[in-house]
Amino acid sequence: MLEQLLIFTRGGLILWSCKELGNALKGSPIDTLIRSCLLEERSGAASYNYDAPGASYSLKWTFHNDLGLVFVAVYQRILHLLYVDDLLAAVKREFSQVYDPTRTVYRDFDEIFKQLKIEAEARAEDLKKSNPVVVGGNRKQQATWQGDGSEGKKNGGGLKGEGGLKNDGGDGKKGNNNNNNNNKLENGRVNGSNLKSNGGNVSVNGKENDSSNNGAFDVNRLQKLRTKSANGKKATDNVVSKAEPKKAVKKNRVWDEKPPETKLDFTDHVDVDGGEDKDRKVDFLAKEQGESMMDKDEILSSDSEDEEDEDDDDAEKNSKPDAKKKGWFSSMFQSIAGKANLEKSDLEPALKALKDRLMTKNVAEEIAEKLCESVAASLEGKKLASFTRISSTVQAAMEEALVRILTPRRSIDILRDVHAAKEQRKPYVVVFVGVNGVGKSTNLAKVAYWLLQHNVKVMMAACDTFRSGAVEQLRTHARRLQIPIFEKGYEKDPAVVAKEAIQEASRNGSDVVLVDTAGRMQDNEPLMRALSKLIYLNNPDLVLFVGEALVGNDAVDQLSKFNQKLADLSTSPTPRLIDGILLTKFDTIDDKVGAALSMVYISGAPVMFVGCGQSYTDLKKLNVKSIVKTLLK
Amino acid sequence: MQQELEQWKEQISHLLNVANDYLREVPPNQLYAAAAIVVFTTLLLLSLRFLKRTKSNTIVLTGLSGSGKTVIFYQLRDGSTHQGTVTSMEPNEDTFILHGETTKKGKIKPVHIVDVPGHSRLRPKLDEYLPQAAGIVFVVDALDFLPNCRAASEYLYDLLTKGSVVRKKIPLLILCNKTDKVTAHTKEFIRRQLEKEIDKLRASRSAVSDADVTNEFTLGEPGEPFSFTQCSNTVTTADASGLTGEISQLEEFIREHVKP
Ligand SMILES: Nc1nc2c(ncn2[C@@H]2O[C@H](COP(=O)(O)OP(=O)(O)OP(=O)(O)O)[C@@H](O)[C@H]2O)c(=O)[nH]1
Ligand SMILES: [Mg+2]
Repeated sequence: MLEQLLIFTRGGLILWSCKELGNALKGSPIDTLIRSCLLEERSGAASYNYDAPGASYSLKWTFHNDLGLVFVAVYQRILHLLYVDDLLAAVKREFSQVYDPTRTVYRDFDEIFKQLKIEAEARAEDLKKSNPVVVGGNRKQQATWQGDGSEGKKNGGGLKGEGGLKNDGGDGKKGNNNNNNNNKLENGRVNGSNLKSNGGNVSVNGKENDSSNNGAFDVNRLQKLRTKSANGKKATDNVVSKAEPKKAVKKNRVWDEKPPETKLDFTDHVDVDGGEDKDRKVDFLAKEQGESMMDKDEILSSDSEDEEDEDDDDAEKNSKPDAKKKGWFSSMFQSIAGKANLEKSDLEPALKALKDRLMTKNVAEEIAEKLCESVAASLEGKKLASFTRISSTVQAAMEEALVRILTPRRSIDILRDVHAAKEQRKPYVVVFVGVNGVGKSTNLAKVAYWLLQHNVKVMMAACDTFRSGAVEQLRTHARRLQIPIFEKGYEKDPAVVAKEAIQEASRNGSDVVLVDTAGRMQDNEPLMRALSKLIYLNNPDLVLFVGEALVGNDAVDQLSKFNQKLADLSTSPTPRLIDGILLTKFDTIDDKVGAALSMVYISGAPVMFVGCGQSYTDLKKLNVKSIVKTLLK
Repeated sequence: MQQELEQWKEQISHLLNVANDYLREVPPNQLYAAAAIVVFTTLLLLSLRFLKRTKSNTIVLTGLSGSGKTVIFYQLRDGSTHQGTVTSMEPNEDTFILHGETTKKGKIKPVHIVDVPGHSRLRPKLDEYLPQAAGIVFVVDALDFLPNCRAASEYLYDLLTKGSVVRKKIPLLILCNKTDKVTAHTKEFIRRQLEKEIDKLRASRSAVSDADVTNEFTLGEPGEPFSFTQCSNTVTTADASGLTGEISQLEEFIREHVKP
């Protein structure tokens, strides 16, 4: 059964909900959907799973971008409701006819909805009857990640050839070419969508994965049905053809073999670590210590305007080879008159260019992909304003999306947190985690230095009992900064060392304990288990992931695996995940700032510090505006 | 196509020639006069627009997500009967005569009200509306206040230290919403808690002047506990219940700063 169907404005006003269904929803699935999916630039996904005590819903949605409306259907997940997409489309079409921005009540829509629902159900029934056998080949790889991480596994497996499916439609020629592109995009996304959603208990499914199991939404079927009903069943005939005017084009389902993801390029970091650290020590000594850059305002260059325009032009040239062909006259006319409604195909070239641009800035591919999809979802069907080009509209939408993502969801005012902990007479504990050689200890020292400057009593805890030399390295920093360090040599269990350190801190009145941990590869199960234990045992106030700004596609893997492992290997029912990110080596990456975006998107955690050099003062805050500007340059 | 274009070009150049000839026939005096008139009118129009802008009629509704801004927005506009709200993804914005005033006679100046979503990801939107604001309403959930106190204070702190707010001394109203419920906190309590919390924030924020959300201005006077009276703009508090429509104090605030 459909649990609820809601129509609301993007402004948040519910215009219509189905009184007849009337079931009170458990929890607040809609608000959760908005907060942890739609506002997290994940609206390109096809469905969203919401779990509350006593309920597990699936939600599907569609936008009417021109009118600024959102249509959401909620149903029990166990029931693979086949008609939801179809019904949503029908409701969207009918409701946009009666919508009036000044009106807030639409009781007269009840009747229309009743009719639409009956029709949709009838259609689904017919589909079932005419095709009782499930075609095995059309199951896409499913990539569901439970938000709580406990069950996050990649389901589904191989992509099978879709030969059987192709045949059963009987008219394979239609639309073979024009959908090629589309499918590839979709394919890539489904493959790569092992993103962790960071809401509560949440999973985002790849498109069509529920329904395609039964083949109910297969377009071929619809067509078949159509021809059938044209011959015989008069009753359903108009219904079907009315509902699916566009989808009737057969999709060309040719799946490429998924290229194996290569993530083996971080083997040599360990040695680098040692060498670099030596260099750093020298540097630290050499440099005069001043105010940490955390506290200095950055002066934003405001030369963006004309620059941006040039960029736009570039994008135009690169992205729209076919637009050029149309000749300047028609394109100028288009831009003056304003185009009717943006369609996916209009957006594609501009989005493609944008995606490539993001990727040249080192944004992980799957993230660039998801972002583009989300932007597409928010623009499709919108009217293009006069005197604007598609590429600039897309760019503006992307810019807004990027700002949204990079703006922290929660406060990142650590000093305030430290003071709050102090009031409760507890030390504030920060655990630094990350893979090998990213500069954990060095940046830990920088954070310590910055805290010292604000009259916070800091203590270090050397819990890297794994790599030889790690304790000594930290000791050097501690001596230079003249702060106490808690160490227990190498043999001990890091979780226990940390525990003792925190006890010691409460004894000697330290406000903050900075816990250094061993670098570990995200795939190293024993070490990850140890980390999970450390975090569970000590319940730190902040789990800070230290990551290199240099990483590209690997950023996603590192962070998602860290979060995943922390969740999976945790013995606690409510596992702690990564709360914040410290990006290191930011000075070495020039304009390739993509890692910042990838990491924030994948984890939902904000970038709290940026390490940008070799001295203690080289610690900054992330400047969202300038990052966004760089990304889109 | 090409030919058509050529034709067009010819016609245009012909027209230009004609115009040129005509101009030569007109005595220069008249020409100058005409030019002067054109310049004068544009200046007049520009200055009119400028004046209009200084007398803004924009009221911005801000506050944490779930505090009830959207409910209040529609209450102001329609005195509303609607089916409820969900988290806003975009601002609600409209220019209208307050619903409570529709029965009044005479010409009433409409108010431009903007409801900016409270979700922290959407906060950058606020900067678009603040420069034109005649007043800011900071909506606080009086029912569920304590768990959100810190988040609310941080938001309020950022608001009160924004250059656009401080420089123009935009008046701010702390609106304690949801007072229809008996368990709601009083506005005095909320005001005190906010002051306390902001006082603590002052210590940490003045230290972390981040390059990003530059708090160009600091709050209050050093060495003294913070109180809203120390702000350069006036900060007042009021009660409301968006759900039951008790928003008379809010309407007063609006009319105080957007004269009817
Ligand atoms: N009891 C009571 N509940 C209210 C009142 N005003 C709003 N609410 C409830 O508070 C919830 C949130 O209201 P919204 O207006 O959507 O909140 P918002 O401030 O617009 O939130 P965002 O759009 O996310 O920023 C709704 O469930 C309302 O029913 C009120 O005066 N009294
Ligand atoms: Mg709202």
